[in-house]
Amino acid sequence: MRAPVSERPDAAAVALVDELVGDLAGTWDTSGVLPDPVLRKLGGAGLLCAQVPEVYGGPGYSSLRNGELTAHVGGRCSSLRSIQTSQGMAAWTVTRLGTERQRAAYLPRLVGGELAAVAFSEPGAGSDLSTMETRARIDGDELVLDGHKVWITGAAYADLVVVFAGYGDAGTAVMVPAGAPGVTIERVPEPLGCRAAGHANVRLDGVRVPLDSVLGGRPGQSLPLLVTIALAYGRISVAWGCAGILRACLAAATAHARGRRQFGRPLAEHQLVARHLAELFTAERVASRACADASASWDGNSPDLVTATMLAKYVSSTQAARGAATAVQVLASAGARDGHAVARAYRDAKLMEIIEGSNEMCELMLARHALSAA
Amino acid sequence: MTSASQALEADLTDLLERRTKIPVAPDADLFELGVVSSLFAMELVVHLESTYDIAIVGPDLVMENFRSVQAMAALVRRIQDRVGAGTGV
Ligand SMILES: Cc1cc2nc3c(=O)[nH]c(=O)nc-3n(C[C@H](O)[C@H](O)[C@H](O)COP(=O)(O)OP(=O)(O)OC[C@H]3O[C@@H](n4cnc5c(N)ncnc54)[C@H](O)[C@@H]3O)c2cc1C
Repeated sequence: MRAPVSERPDAAAVALVDELVGDLAGTWDTSGVLPDPVLRKLGGAGLLCAQVPEVYGGPGYSSLRNGELTAHVGGRCSSLRSIQTSQGMAAWTVTRLGTERQRAAYLPRLVGGELAAVAFSEPGAGSDLSTMETRARIDGDELVLDGHKVWITGAAYADLVVVFAGYGDAGTAVMVPAGAPGVTIERVPEPLGCRAAGHANVRLDGVRVPLDSVLGGRPGQSLPLLVTIALAYGRISVAWGCAGILRACLAAATAHARGRRQFGRPLAEHQLVARHLAELFTAERVASRACADASASWDGNSPDLVTATMLAKYVSSTQAARGAATAVQVLASAGARDGHAVARAYRDAKLMEIIEGSNEMCELMLARHALSAA
Repeated sequence: MTSASQALEADLTDLLERRTKIPVAPDADLFELGVVSSLFAMELVVHLESTYDIAIVGPDLVMENFRSVQAMAALVRRIQDRVGAGTGV
């Protein structure tokens, strides 16, 4: 069940996560806030984007190893894991879309305690990002941004927002300081799940940044390609986070079914309850295999990573949403309280079927792949 | 055209024809044919990187570079020349 030694996050990383999260995830869920020192400490240890190479001061994890770390965080707190997903996606975006100078400028900051969010979605552009209305234009040696982004994970805590925008008939990705004049960040009140992940709407009113904040050095790349590349990281990260949700649900359900007695015997000895446990076990194994398979493609830089990542995200999020519902069923009233691990899982996992490509978007893309590959 | 360039174009043509199930001429406009989605473009990026040991990053990610087999082959050659000349971005 465990990853080979070389692919496990190092013990110190796991210990730091465990120490910082402790038994506080439920409190963070109900209060809707992640404490700043927790984010800064994990970020400063490079663990919010652990694939950043050592030359930039990062831990230099493989995708598989980072995935196991992501699952570990996801099993404890999906809000914190959401921050990890956004930070990792920001670092990956800089790595892929930035110039060497930009990698050297931004990556050390992202493993040094600064926090970043990534902004695609808009009021009119959710699944269909081609309708994005945020625009970038050049004015002298500055880039000017105008637009409105919504539901940006981590934006409430972020120092930097990676903003995707249209530029002429092309696109661009820009590093925008959250404190820049013209940037307004407003929290989304009372989200259904990942409640402490700092989701916020971000307004950009004539925001001016120097041209060297434009990833790649100048605007005008393909917007769909930029978005696809950035989202690939978000997808594999969400997939591993969902594997973590399933691990937590399996642990909670088996512990409860072993200890709680009804009708004179442990719940686990009632066959209908045992089936729930078998389904949870299967879901965790299937999700973990799909994630490991996708990460192997990342680590081998194989073109299969594109489809394998989509598959992992789809499998893992759908399994997690179903598995979390199953876990709540097994715990019943014992888990029916906000803040409880399975109650959080139930709400958090549902949202994972919506973000980074909803179930339906994944299905359309997988079907398209099936048609071309078969 | 050098044999390396020919091999490059042949490799790309082969991949595209396998995936799109239509004949693909070296100068055919893949966007007009509607056969290159952004996901497929990302696959092509990783394919070119892993096959030719190059990195396609930053400013090279314009769709124009993926418009045809010839455009992709030219991109690979440009990056190889740049790396050879030690002026990578
Ligand atoms: C918890 C959370 C965190 C988020 N974090 C971020 C973030 O960090 N950055 C960011 O940019 N955005 C973020 N988002 C926004 C997220 O990316 C969007 O919610 C998502 O893309 C879906 O868009 P939408 O909500 O507008 O739904 P819509 O696009 O309006 O879709 C509504 C429903 O219709 C379905 N649908 C749409 N089109 C089709 C079709 N062609 N065929 C079949 N079904 C279709 C969808 O699958 C969905 O079920 C976040 C959202 C949530 C809930």
